[in-house]
Amino acid sequence: MTTTSEPPLQLTAGEQLVRPSASLGVLARPKGDVGWKSWLFTVDHKRIGIMYGAAALLFLVIGGIEALLIRLQLAVPGGNVLSEDAYNQVFTMHGVTMVFLVIMPMAAAFANYLLPLQVGARDVAFPRLNAFSLWCFLAGGIFLNTSWLLGGAPDGGWFGYAPNSGLVYSPSHGMDFYALGLQIAGIASLVSAINLIVTVLNMRTPGMSLWRMPVLTWMLLVVQFLLLFAIPVITVALFLLSFDRLFDANFFNVAAGADPLLWQHLFWIFGHPEVYILILPAFGIMSEVIPVFSRKPIFGYPFMVFSGIAIGFMGWGVWAHHMFTSGIGPVSVAVFSLSTMFIAVPTGVKILNWLATMWGGRIRFTTAMLYSVGAVAMFTIGGLSGVTHAISPADTQQTDTYYIVAHFHYVIFGGSLMGFLSGLYFWWPKAFGYKLNERWGKAGFWVLLVGFNLTFGPMHILGLQGMSRRIHSYAADSGFNLWNLVATVGAFVIAVGLLMFFWNIGISRRGARGAPPVGPDPWDARGLEWMTASPVPTHNFDREITVTRQDEFWHRKWGQDENGKVVRIAQAADVAHDGSATNVHLPSPSYWPVVVALGLPFVAYGLIYNLWLTGVGALLILGGLYAWVFEPPDDPEAHDHDDHHAEDPSGNGASGGGPSGGGPSGDENGAPADGGEAPELVGAAASGGSTVRAAGDQA
Amino acid sequence: MSEPGRCPRRRAQRRLRLILLAGAVALITAACADEHPLDTLTEAGPDAQEINDLFFPVLGVAILVFFLVQGAVIYLAVRYRVRRKASAPGDDPGGDDLYGDDEYPEQVHGNLRLELAWTIIPTILLAVISVFTLISLVELNEVSAAEDDLRVTVVGQQWWWEFQYHLDGDTSTPPDIVTANEMVIPVGQQVPLEVTSRDVIHSFWVPRLNGKKDAVPGRTHPWVIEADEPGRYMGQCTEFCGLSHAYMRMYAIVLTQAEWEQWVQGQLVDAAPLEPGDPGYEGQELFLANCANCHVVNGVTDVNLDDVADGTQDYAGANSITSALVAGAAPNLTHVASRTTFAGSIFDLYDNRAKRIPYLEVAEQGRLNRGDLEAWIRNAPERKANDADGARGMTAFPGLTEGDIDALVEYLTTLR
Repeated sequence: MTTTSEPPLQLTAGEQLVRPSASLGVLARPKGDVGWKSWLFTVDHKRIGIMYGAAALLFLVIGGIEALLIRLQLAVPGGNVLSEDAYNQVFTMHGVTMVFLVIMPMAAAFANYLLPLQVGARDVAFPRLNAFSLWCFLAGGIFLNTSWLLGGAPDGGWFGYAPNSGLVYSPSHGMDFYALGLQIAGIASLVSAINLIVTVLNMRTPGMSLWRMPVLTWMLLVVQFLLLFAIPVITVALFLLSFDRLFDANFFNVAAGADPLLWQHLFWIFGHPEVYILILPAFGIMSEVIPVFSRKPIFGYPFMVFSGIAIGFMGWGVWAHHMFTSGIGPVSVAVFSLSTMFIAVPTGVKILNWLATMWGGRIRFTTAMLYSVGAVAMFTIGGLSGVTHAISPADTQQTDTYYIVAHFHYVIFGGSLMGFLSGLYFWWPKAFGYKLNERWGKAGFWVLLVGFNLTFGPMHILGLQGMSRRIHSYAADSGFNLWNLVATVGAFVIAVGLLMFFWNIGISRRGARGAPPVGPDPWDARGLEWMTASPVPTHNFDREITVTRQDEFWHRKWGQDENGKVVRIAQAADVAHDGSATNVHLPSPSYWPVVVALGLPFVAYGLIYNLWLTGVGALLILGGLYAWVFEPPDDPEAHDHDDHHAEDPSGNGASGGGPSGGGPSGDENGAPADGGEAPELVGAAASGGSTVRAAGDQA
Repeated sequence: MSEPGRCPRRRAQRRLRLILLAGAVALITAACADEHPLDTLTEAGPDAQEINDLFFPVLGVAILVFFLVQGAVIYLAVRYRVRRKASAPGDDPGGDDLYGDDEYPEQVHGNLRLELAWTIIPTILLAVISVFTLISLVELNEVSAAEDDLRVTVVGQQWWWEFQYHLDGDTSTPPDIVTANEMVIPVGQQVPLEVTSRDVIHSFWVPRLNGKKDAVPGRTHPWVIEADEPGRYMGQCTEFCGLSHAYMRMYAIVLTQAEWEQWVQGQLVDAAPLEPGDPGYEGQELFLANCANCHVVNGVTDVNLDDVADGTQDYAGANSITSALVAGAAPNLTHVASRTTFAGSIFDLYDNRAKRIPYLEVAEQGRLNRGDLEAWIRNAPERKANDADGARGMTAFPGLTEGDIDALVEYLTTLR
């Protein structure tokens, strides 16, 4: 904390520390804040978030290379860059990778990092489960990609339609990897969903009522509910597929009387909510970025929240629009056609509210803002083309053509990925303590925008001209030559744009050495996450924050004079915590989440190759779970250390009550104290008096 | 559409379409059908017409909204943009925030009326569109053909299409004509289809005539097709169906009523078994030894439709799933020389000049595209990816000599 005109802040902690019994548990918990072990065994939501993001970016490179291979193959008619078989594997893995291993974990990265911060919590509700989610996702993603080296990747499309995904028509192990890999990744999503829902519902800082939560928190909450209900459906479908392929079950065996449409229904009942799982987090990010850089609050907060919830509900009633030509009857087609059309309404509301947020603002076009506005513009195109195939008769022409490819890339690339890039530029200084270079960022944005439109714009035309999806080749006289070439050029421009982003990380990191610290609030932002030091200290906040209104942090910086004009009342650095608190109780790292997650790919390999391997995996899982359950809630010796302070073994901090259960006793507002050193904090949570809402260890 | 009463509406919509489509878009979409054989926008049948009559106005509205929103984005960006402060010497232009941080505009939190308006107005707009969508759906699902009119069962298979003609419209009896890759239909007549598959899911699509309908094994999906003008309309499988998905094409050949009847008469005749000394006899024997395991030539191979009708033998090409991977489920070659393409319509059977020859005279006048045909017989998997070992697609015949292949080609040309 530097100079300040207002009284420094103080805690009202005072109770004695309660130490756990050293006899608890079978193994001591890992220690340490540095080194690879501190990352491998971490349960810190921020580190987990960063690892989610890093993994997603890595998979983005892999999925991007696959995309470039696709575009190279289709650059000219009769392309022979890839064989038919290789092409099918590449486009399947491109879709699977981008959906399950890039966009979903990227959303998980933002959710993990930001959601506890935005609600003023110490960590998520179940920190070890959180670590387990991360390793599960990574295990699934790596398992899936090892198929490249083990006789062939999945080749049945990301949608895996039966019976083409069955053993007869896809005899390689690829689709086994698909079914089992997605199953493992699905566990990650499911566990994470429960974790984050509990976090939002139970661990908000006092005063942070649901209606004061940032829009991003809301959207992430909606997404977690979508995951909670959608993942079980794909789980069932994938189990049926696995049983068919591995154990000669007959769920999709038409000769035995099965109806292949069963798979389609299961897949899309998951698959359409999945679309909103992919886009709503980006909507949330845009709803944070646009107000900050427009210097206005989000326009129509209730509409933004309710439209997100409405999308969440309506998203369950539109799945069969993926099946207008599948042979569901005309009544079904009519019903789903209408429901699909009307889901455009809440989406449209969001777009107009973002525009209204910009209206009358003082807009700073930083890179983050450029990406958010770009995402609004690009998503609009995807939304509008969506309406043109919500009208089901037109969809019978458009479905399975490049028109659809164009549509969903405008939604998922133009909407989600651009939204995420916006979020990366926006929260990068918060996570790493330095800003990404704005000049490179802006140049990268324009390159990406141009490349994106060059690639996917022409696909609208190609689709209407009749170019089918998933074809490895087209005839020279089909009339597809020109736009395919343009799209391929565009794809490489996209690649350049993304490389500029990666390059920017490198040079910004180097440039940050020796540079002055970026401060807690480099953008003059609004959310609670900006009210602590950058990078965020392990314990998040020095003191519990009592929230009295939306955009609490902003309101502590800015007030209004008698004319209603916004005037500064405090500097961010004075309002924000400086991260100097010590002796904050935090959940200790744990070995077991990574061990249990490691068991899952063993089981999966075993199912494919040798059941003994499954036994090894089962031992890892069961042993890991056993040790997990009996693990001491904390390292009993940690009380000698400065932080990771041991305390109440029941983890009462997290279970200590509802959203505002802490009461105002911990409110730091106006309480005078010595600002230089944060006073002892421990014990407060243990007493239930709760100055700091510690995360529980009971997960 | 056949009813004259509909024409004014369509003309009005055409005009509307012209107005709505901006120049650039029109330039892009006004594709010549010859250059874009799969173009969805140059309709050639009443169903495709019906679809485009719905699509174009909606596309027009979408384009209008597109311009409004993008215009708003650009306007807001320009109008309310705050420029960066001039950077002082030594400032890192990429690093620090150089925007002023001292001024805030009026803090508007929302406007209920405005937001209700832009919730309700799109709802009304979409409600209007949905009414037209429903009307269109009903019209597209109307079958005007009579029960005993021509009905065609369309069977998708990796990676070609089979067409089974039921001239009396009764699909419960064996088909009168079985052909592959080219579906010959009379002009101006709605032909009801029953779309199904023998293996995986395919999707039947002739874009200039109608939308697509999935061919799902174990299910029969009703669909219709109708063309306004005689011609040759390309089709393509559009549901991903494995290795050669891209190579699963077809043509709808639309003939005048008289020509079509002539074609039917020709197709109804079985091939006559050749006797020793007949030209092509040697090829016929090779055919029976090598090809007849899978391919049917009515009157020559063991399996023929008459036997099926008698109930003495299963029709191996029947639409049963179990037959997917067994003999008899390859294209029926009884009149293969009367077609213009082969192998999922990816190769021309005759050279380019044949495109100017009337369809019914191609077998007489066309010059055989010998190169592709011989290469295909020699080593089909090399020309079109398949899984012949898994009985999916045509196998290679390394045992055939060049002389054998010539003989086979000669035999095939007799199958007119």
